[in-house]
Amino acid sequence: MSVPQLGDARRGKLADNMMGFGRALRRAGVRTDSARIALAAEAAALVGVDSRLDLAAAMEAVMISREQDRLVFRELFDAWFRDPELANKLLAQMLPSAEGKAEPAKGRPRVREALAAPRDPAKPAQTEREIDFDAAMTASDRRRLHHADFNALGAAEYRLVERLARDIALPVPTVPARRLRAAGDAGAHSRMHWPGVWHEAARTGGEMLRLPRLSRRKQPLPLLVLVDVSGSMERYARLLLAFLHAATRRAGRRDVFAFGTQLTDLTPAFRIADTDAMLGAAGEAIADFAGGTRLGGSLGELRQRHARRLTGRRTLVLVISDGLDTGEPETLERELLWLKRHSRRVLWLNPLLRYEGYAPLARGAAVLHRHADAMLAVHNLSALEQLATSLAALMRAGR
Amino acid sequence: MTDTTPAATAPFNTIDAVVQALEGAGYYADRRLATAVFLALKLQRPLLLEGEPGVGKTELAKALSSALQRELLRLQCYDGLEQREALYEWNYAAQLLHMRAAEAHGASSDVESEVYQPRYLIRRPLLQALQAPAPGAVLLIDEVDRADEPFEAFLLEYLGEYQVSIPELGTVRALVPPVTILTSNRTRELNDAVKRRCLYHWLDYPERDRELAIVRAQVPKAGAVLSEQVAAFVGRLRSAPYVSAFQRAPGIAESVEWARALIALDTVELDPEIVVDTAGILFKQRDDVAALTHELASDLLKPEEEPAS
Repeated sequence: MSVPQLGDARRGKLADNMMGFGRALRRAGVRTDSARIALAAEAAALVGVDSRLDLAAAMEAVMISREQDRLVFRELFDAWFRDPELANKLLAQMLPSAEGKAEPAKGRPRVREALAAPRDPAKPAQTEREIDFDAAMTASDRRRLHHADFNALGAAEYRLVERLARDIALPVPTVPARRLRAAGDAGAHSRMHWPGVWHEAARTGGEMLRLPRLSRRKQPLPLLVLVDVSGSMERYARLLLAFLHAATRRAGRRDVFAFGTQLTDLTPAFRIADTDAMLGAAGEAIADFAGGTRLGGSLGELRQRHARRLTGRRTLVLVISDGLDTGEPETLERELLWLKRHSRRVLWLNPLLRYEGYAPLARGAAVLHRHADAMLAVHNLSALEQLATSLAALMRAGR
Repeated sequence: MTDTTPAATAPFNTIDAVVQALEGAGYYADRRLATAVFLALKLQRPLLLEGEPGVGKTELAKALSSALQRELLRLQCYDGLEQREALYEWNYAAQLLHMRAAEAHGASSDVESEVYQPRYLIRRPLLQALQAPAPGAVLLIDEVDRADEPFEAFLLEYLGEYQVSIPELGTVRALVPPVTILTSNRTRELNDAVKRRCLYHWLDYPERDRELAIVRAQVPKAGAVLSEQVAAFVGRLRSAPYVSAFQRAPGIAESVEWARALIALDTVELDPEIVVDTAGILFKQRDDVAALTHELASDLLKPEEEPAS
């Protein structure tokens, strides 16, 4: 407002700087838009540029909206206002694709496939033995795949199964929510649906013959999924992630973690709607893919850092693992008991269950078996379909 | 009274003024937080505060309200919170009576506008905040993350434009834009649409000096030695090697409460015994209480001077 002349000259420079900084932030993965940048310039004008710390705090208040972005912001702020050129270079080093911009057109396999010249329909591809690509999932095709073990699938079959898996809806059990909605006359709740009462009365000339009431909405249980991504689970993990991502899309709250030797939060990746993009993001996030397993330690990490994700003992926890754990069984037992206390059900989805006469003898598996509410098979499609029904049954039992 | 309060129009002109005013209200804010508050007041934006429980998110709103001499309106969010509890609701019973009376006296032509008039509107906190007279109000929307996602949509119009649309009445605009504070414990990530409309500040646990100041201010009866010890002990408890032993580190609220309890027990100086005996005030979980053993307590108490590496 004051000192217009001085301010003008400076503001021009400042605005430029702000813009560059905003863009740099965006490249570093912090979500910020032009409205924010404009607001940041305004804030800078208010706070003044005399004190670096104040300016930093002001910028942070305006441009950041998540706790995890704070560190990136601070580092970048320091670098930028010392030397923007240098900061840009730093950024380029940090993110190989940053300088190139405009996301390299990687092209998803599906898109590539779609763009490739169509194959001669009379001549099936040599490498794919039995699967007929042109016939879109006929019944017989589907049945054969049902009992195919994922572990033994070829690449082409694998893709087809993935698509099938996406078609199976996994209905997450629902519970009555606190929220109310209008119900018919048979409304279970005692509260009146007043706007409805007015409507009805208007129809009958002001006389209230029907008294609509409210009833509770249904809401799906929150889901917490823990996926084992260690070496022994390598093949299943990818497919199960794809399946869960697609099948629980309409579920309410879902938190997803991958664990091997450490815990990785896949929830942000799961927010991406496209399954391929989700797999890409998840793959990038997971640093310990196909390594060892420390289930107990990972659960401990969950307890310490993400305990608040388990909402009010309502959460349905799915542990997807073969139970081949290299950590201490005592730790696992303790953490598992804690998890049980803080959730509604802990279900163990075990791909090893496909072997007849499988018994959970490994140390970790024995602990899991003892404490999980149920052990379910997830190794092929019919098992996945059963999963949906068993889920519902389990939630009803022993309430 | 209103004309003499400088708070009415231009509350604070510098960040220091914010720090001082908050201190006057018994709230010791660090400079980063004060900057965020300063901007929220100047830019008239809502301020979203996130942080661990017990770091003083809610207290800030209370302190602001007393520093600004504005009324504090509080909307506690919970699962299932609806528009009718947060914004407004029609007083259906009164409307009904009105209609019956109108009928008895021979129906007037515009019963509808008579029925939907402001006096039959029950104002909930958001609407109250908009209609608060001259100095305006401080609105605290507490623990937004507890309400479900659909509820956030109700907030958008308020947060963005400081107005609320009531279909039967029209749009209610703020007389004075309320100072709005949102708090969240991060049980879930808030919607981007909400975040975009707010300034953001992450509240950390306070550093030792600030905590000491808070304990001194809140528990004046505690001696210098004791309050110093309390601040140091809790500070170390939250620091790297020790914190991993517990599920939840104690917040400021807990250290203040602890200091009070220690006074009540006539403690002059901390020793491991009393720490273990009063662990139930610092920790609210059985495992955590059990984890604070005699050894750990004496370990935490002893090497005061040694800087934690």
